[in-house]
Amino acid sequence: MENPIKNIAYDALVVGAGIAGGEVALNLANTGYKVLLVDKELSVGGKMIMLSKVFPTLDCAACITTPKVSEISRHPNITIFTGSEVSNIKKLSENEFTAKVTKHPRYVRVEDCTACQLCEKACPVNVRDQYQFGLIGRKAAFIPFSICSPKAAAIDIENCTLCGACEKVCPTNCIDFTQETEVMNLHVKTVVIATGFDMFDAKKMPRYGYGQYKNVITALQMERELAPTRPFNTILRPGDGKVPDKIAYVLCVGSRDASVGNPLCSQICCMYSIKQAQLLMGALPMADVTIYYINIRSFGKGFEEFYQQAKGMGVNFVKGKIGRISEKEGGNLILRYEDINEGKLQEAEHDMVILSTGVLPNTGIDKFFENQTLSLDPFNFVGQSDALASPARTSIDGVFVAGTATGPMDIPDSILSAGAASSEAISYLVSQQY
Amino acid sequence: MEKKPKRIGVYICHCGGNISDYVDVEKVRQAVDGGDAEIVVMAKTTMFACSDANQRDMVEDIKANNLDSVVVASCSPKLHQLTFRNVSVRADLNKYTYVHANIREQASWAHSDNKMGATEKAIHLVKAAIAKSKYAEALETNKIKAKKAVAVIGAGVAGIKAAISLAEKDTEVILIEKEPFVGGRVAQWGSLFSTNETGKEMIDRLSADMSKYKNITLLTNSEVIDNKGSVGNISLKVRTNSDGNEKITELVVGSVLMATGFDYYTPEDGEFGYGTSNKIITLPVFKNMIDNQKGKLIHNGSEVKNIAYIYCVGSRQTDGENTYCSRNCCTSTIHAAVTAKQKFGDITNYHFNRGLRTYGKQEILYADSLRQGDIYLQSYEDGLPTVVTEGKKTIVKINDILTNGREIEVEADLVVLVTGMVPRSDNSSIGSLFKLPKGRDKFYNEVHMKLRPVETVIDGITIAGACQGPKNIAESVNSALSASTKSYSILSKGELETDPLIAVIDPEKCTWCGACEAACPFDAILKVENGKKVIAEINNSVCKGCGMCTPVCEPDAIDLIACSSKEIMSMIDALV
Repeated sequence: MENPIKNIAYDALVVGAGIAGGEVALNLANTGYKVLLVDKELSVGGKMIMLSKVFPTLDCAACITTPKVSEISRHPNITIFTGSEVSNIKKLSENEFTAKVTKHPRYVRVEDCTACQLCEKACPVNVRDQYQFGLIGRKAAFIPFSICSPKAAAIDIENCTLCGACEKVCPTNCIDFTQETEVMNLHVKTVVIATGFDMFDAKKMPRYGYGQYKNVITALQMERELAPTRPFNTILRPGDGKVPDKIAYVLCVGSRDASVGNPLCSQICCMYSIKQAQLLMGALPMADVTIYYINIRSFGKGFEEFYQQAKGMGVNFVKGKIGRISEKEGGNLILRYEDINEGKLQEAEHDMVILSTGVLPNTGIDKFFENQTLSLDPFNFVGQSDALASPARTSIDGVFVAGTATGPMDIPDSILSAGAASSEAISYLVSQQY
Repeated sequence: MEKKPKRIGVYICHCGGNISDYVDVEKVRQAVDGGDAEIVVMAKTTMFACSDANQRDMVEDIKANNLDSVVVASCSPKLHQLTFRNVSVRADLNKYTYVHANIREQASWAHSDNKMGATEKAIHLVKAAIAKSKYAEALETNKIKAKKAVAVIGAGVAGIKAAISLAEKDTEVILIEKEPFVGGRVAQWGSLFSTNETGKEMIDRLSADMSKYKNITLLTNSEVIDNKGSVGNISLKVRTNSDGNEKITELVVGSVLMATGFDYYTPEDGEFGYGTSNKIITLPVFKNMIDNQKGKLIHNGSEVKNIAYIYCVGSRQTDGENTYCSRNCCTSTIHAAVTAKQKFGDITNYHFNRGLRTYGKQEILYADSLRQGDIYLQSYEDGLPTVVTEGKKTIVKINDILTNGREIEVEADLVVLVTGMVPRSDNSSIGSLFKLPKGRDKFYNEVHMKLRPVETVIDGITIAGACQGPKNIAESVNSALSASTKSYSILSKGELETDPLIAVIDPEKCTWCGACEAACPFDAILKVENGKKVIAEINNSVCKGCGMCTPVCEPDAIDLIACSSKEIMSMIDALV
């Protein structure tokens, strides 16, 4: 039986509910416009809500993200669809866009779920937890992460065995396996793209051993280990659970590297590595932390001082790109590099290595658009039609872009970019009133 | 009439470890729970007080426990005082009954070397907050009419974009510019990185755009000389000097957007040889030179073939005031070097650098420069390049990291000192007119880089562009548009709510001595006649509640709302 497709209408569609999308939604909502905020993940908050602390102030990331997320969820002018995707965006005329919104079933009635976690305990299925970047497991019936929003369970239907254990223990009967994909026709007056970025897959550099050597992890994985809502009680290396004391950071993994298809600098890795190094020095006072770099890009407000602060704390900085990592028996790693300061080839042994992977474009955004072309820049980020004088404008009038969808950016830059996109969107909406 | 005792709830935040790593939050909780003659009916610790989940819990707790007010002990009120005031409102409490204690910046972060001491201090701070909360009164916000007009100070690229952005949203804009022309620095630039437009062309385009808006009034040759009032109602006096005539304009705006930009660093005499030879110039002079010449690059009558660029002049200083990195000079310099080579052909660029910072997409430029044959020499951290003159020759020497410390000399036809952005020299005068605080790099300071990046602690004054810190054009525009969105959202409803946290004078006690008027930095105290007496009166819309008047009043006639003597005495009792 076919259900008639529902028609919904808002003033603005914001695609992506990370920090940039959230900021745009708030700005538009505070001005009185009705916003539909769509994200393909089960929670809003993007990457920022997964982080530990932020540079250069060392505020805890959650302390900054969760109140924003709270404001967004409570705002009467903002409707949020998580687990949803947008496609077939058509521009009919100025201020008139239609799109298809597909809401994937969560199999849980969110309004009734109390996040009691009884379903999690009952579920027999264990899979890798993508929200902890693979460090630990989760169940197929699960709460995405402790500070997610909406804070409700979801069923990972691909891995679910349909045993029904979760349904039996749910105290509010909110698990509903009859939920179906919902498709809606959306009418809006303006669109803002805030789809964020992807991280470079370190497996594409086999000489660094990621995926092969257990004690080589990525910076996002270390971010989770350092976060207050961390998966383990301490910092440990995944190979054997040992607390490391000789840690290495390898910068520019997948950046400034034409051989893996990314000649750009990812802008944030120097700073996030220095930040993690400082946090590690705090968490493991006896540990040695060494950062192997090409150039340290500490260019923003307070960044250079943050870099000097790390040096003062005893973080070692070694100029030299790591050529190869090999594994010793017992799980330690040998890093081979040219030490530029000393002028010779060296090998250094570390018990844990963190790869500072780079920022790549979130691809496929241009495919969202049906009758107009969303131009991309030469690096496949969303193209900016007037990159210097109007950075939020795209090749389609009425469609704006915010945050890392345009290129590598840190959090303050993403927020300012969202401010610019909000301004353009508001002006666009106002102009069509006359 | 005996008031029934207050029922107060206390939340002590872990702040994700930021607090709990140094302060024993459970110990603090135990020290205050049930305290102060059982006024504290409930005390909890929480991982993130500001999280959605905890905020919801707070609303439920307030209702379930019949609380009269809450105290949250967490980070600086700059971040979340507003958040928790709003929680109180959602629980049907008056938002001014909320009291905040900062045990992060004031205890945990300040005393990370002394956990016991930090915990003790936190206990005292929370007890003081509870003592204040006992006397915190319900207050009504002041509703004031907000003038839907913004004064944008500075008509560089940030100011122009902010003006257009506000005008598009039906807001009146007065754009005030010191120089006779608009466009600031960008108007003086030729080729720009990543676009075919020159700086002059961009400004011409933006100016043409701007002239379409009837609600933008442009005042060039103008400076703000006086500022009174507060957000919603700011009175400015602007002095315009044109053709030797001086004119004073008085205007009233709802808010001010500072977009005053930057100055270039001027090297000291002798710094890398500056001033000893006319072959040694700064980056802005060099850019001008290459934009305005064709065919061959000529300087002082001879052809320039070898150009030496010395980076970080006046930035990242180890023994100077400018410790910051000026963000865009690496990109700007390499762009100039690539442009020069493309234009004049027979040139070799030697880059004497301290590590290149062509961040993000700008990295492409560095690769282009390497491909065209530019030579990069990097100094050690403790050994900067030197410039020496030998007869008619100018030689730049360096111990180069990339060749294992080998000393390399380049005889340069031109030495370009890569100078960064510094705060404008007139920032002190215009800045102090608006009482704008500065960061340690002396640029204007925002309230919080992530939560409130374009606002200042002065309500109604936003900052945009390079006056907040070094930025390139796109970054300045993003910040200008953010600031204009912020200004617009404050004023768009035509009405503002302001905190009623101001001073109040007891007309019975006041004997008009004038001490308070002299002490007030905001000219918020008026001398008025009250029946037979002459007394002081507070101008409610101007008073900022700073409290400078309270200690100088001999008859003790002045008190501060929400920071009253009674509340302060109560806090002192709790602290000692």
